[in-house]
Amino acid sequence: MYSKRTVIKNQTGLHARPASEFIALASKFSSRITIKKLSEDEDANAKSIVMLLALGLPMGEEVEIVAKGEDEVEAVDSLIALIDSKFGED
Amino acid sequence: MTEYKGNPVSEGIAVGKVYLYQPYVPEAVEGEIPEAEVPQVIARYEAMLEGAKKELEAIRRRLEEAGDGDKAKIFTAHQDILFDVAMDEEIRDKISYDLLTPEWAVHRVYEKFMKMLGKAKDPLIRERVADLRDVKNRLLRVAAGVPEKNLAALAEPVVVVAHDLLPSDTATLDRKNVLAIVTEVGGATSHSAIIARSYEIPALLGVPGVTEKLSHGQEAAVDALEGVLIADPSPEQKAEFSARREAFLARRAQEKKFLAVEPRMADGTVVPVHLNVGSASDQELAAEKYTDGVGLFRTEFVYMGREQLPTEEEQYEIYKKVLAAFGDRPVTLRTLDIGGDKKLPCMELPVEENPFLGNRALRLCFSMPEVFLTQLRAALRASVHGNLWIMFPMVGSLDDIRRAKEYLEKAKAQLEERGIPYSPDVKVGIMVEIPSIALVADLAAKEVDFASIGTNDLTQYSIAVDRMNPALGEYYQNYHPALFRLIGYVVSSFAKEGKPVSVCGEMGGDPLAAAVLVGLGMSKLSMGAASVARIKKLLSGLTMEKAKELAARACALPTSSQVEEYLKTELSPLL
Repeated sequence: MYSKRTVIKNQTGLHARPASEFIALASKFSSRITIKKLSEDEDANAKSIVMLLALGLPMGEEVEIVAKGEDEVEAVDSLIALIDSKFGED
Repeated sequence: MTEYKGNPVSEGIAVGKVYLYQPYVPEAVEGEIPEAEVPQVIARYEAMLEGAKKELEAIRRRLEEAGDGDKAKIFTAHQDILFDVAMDEEIRDKISYDLLTPEWAVHRVYEKFMKMLGKAKDPLIRERVADLRDVKNRLLRVAAGVPEKNLAALAEPVVVVAHDLLPSDTATLDRKNVLAIVTEVGGATSHSAIIARSYEIPALLGVPGVTEKLSHGQEAAVDALEGVLIADPSPEQKAEFSARREAFLARRAQEKKFLAVEPRMADGTVVPVHLNVGSASDQELAAEKYTDGVGLFRTEFVYMGREQLPTEEEQYEIYKKVLAAFGDRPVTLRTLDIGGDKKLPCMELPVEENPFLGNRALRLCFSMPEVFLTQLRAALRASVHGNLWIMFPMVGSLDDIRRAKEYLEKAKAQLEERGIPYSPDVKVGIMVEIPSIALVADLAAKEVDFASIGTNDLTQYSIAVDRMNPALGEYYQNYHPALFRLIGYVVSSFAKEGKPVSVCGEMGGDPLAAAVLVGLGMSKLSMGAASVARIKKLLSGLTMEKAKELAARACALPTSSQVEEYLKTELSPLL
């Protein structure tokens, strides 16, 4: 198991286009990946758009991405990098 | 002939045949399957997915080929939902272990997730419920083998009448053949309303039971200016509607020509036209192209629909976006104007007996220094990205001005302590909406850089009429000569100090009142994007000399209705 934390930095938060990009990337990995909203101690399957939306991750929210599987390190690192890139906003 | 009333959310007039749009609404019924059939049933579920996917891809391709990338994205999002791993897994489990029919499993799982999203704090996420319903209906319809019915190919121009329109209905809408949209549900901010406005299709929403009252092929006349639908109009009514439709379209086409022109009067005087901003969405800020600045940036939306107060960082990002969009043109940011009747989930405010005379706006900010300072710091930080003018609402006295400025200095000091830069050129001004500050405008003008008249509140406070009370409609007089006198005094007082006054209430976008305001010496007018073309057109036909004459007369006539009558007569050739 491998995990890392970061803070949502783009203005839209994790919904609409950023959410689609996020699950599209997560789905490329075989590992089981969850994204945890640290302020409420709730998590969601990182490959499910609906779960991600229901979790609700606006700008400023701290999250932890946890992956388990063959490509866990690569999965976590690339998803964190995607969040930190602010999804190309501004 | 029967008349129905509705909410006119997209302006226009139309006469035509009713196209009763009642798409197949699948009803899933509870059902179980024998355990031995699970593999076949799973295969049936997969066939449903495949069928739905084919339809979605076909629609997406068609939209992309038509160059409508934004609409195409809706269907990409629908495919994401269709193949959502969490829902897919639950549906398969319900079939394999609970032995549900695929339709019932789909129904149960989609309903569960729709309920979950419906509880989201963020309204944008709650709106996604419509997308889930759309995908669910598609799956169940495919399962029933019913072909898709949509509004993509209409045989003739029609008035579309429906219970509601789903995102997939509006995205594929055969625009050239839709004369008007009439629905049973929905308000000004609903999906159907937004689409109707962007396509400039007249729309009347919230007409209860209209799909049962009207029949397919029946004639209807829709007035989406006044909010009326007439079923089976008489030949005279039809002729009247057609004539008004022509006049409306001609007016709109003509106004559009004025959208991008410089706001120059017939004698060459330029009166800058500014924009009122209320959501800072990309769509709203697109009006940047034909306005000279932001005359009123309402910041309330930053605080709305959320449980926690927005952080300095969040506010900074939003303010920066607006300032950057306007470059070196002024952006007038009004500090939080909340309290009284306007409530926020992120603030606990007591119920007041007299909310409009209560602890609202600046007064409320004074009682919550941290909230106020956070906003001021965020605004100051954003000032390096543009030309910031800070404006305080609900100022009643010089004490208020001095106190607000102290907070601003404190916010500056806090930023300096943290080593964060802000622009040294930030202008400080006030809203004039309380008569007491209007009457000491000469004194106020010495202590601030500018003023902006909030005509809605100034009117209600001056003539003591609650503008929300429908029983008082006749007393809320927009053209009361007292208002023009009061505004005239503010403008001339500020002019003596060489300081600008603008107007940002509804009066600024009302051609009759705007002509008077310009004549009174208003330095600029600020309004919603929808009024810009109309006001520029008015200015182009008006000389300053004529405007001054109108202003003098509006201040001298005895009653509001006489002022209105006079202005209509004088200005009708220019409207």
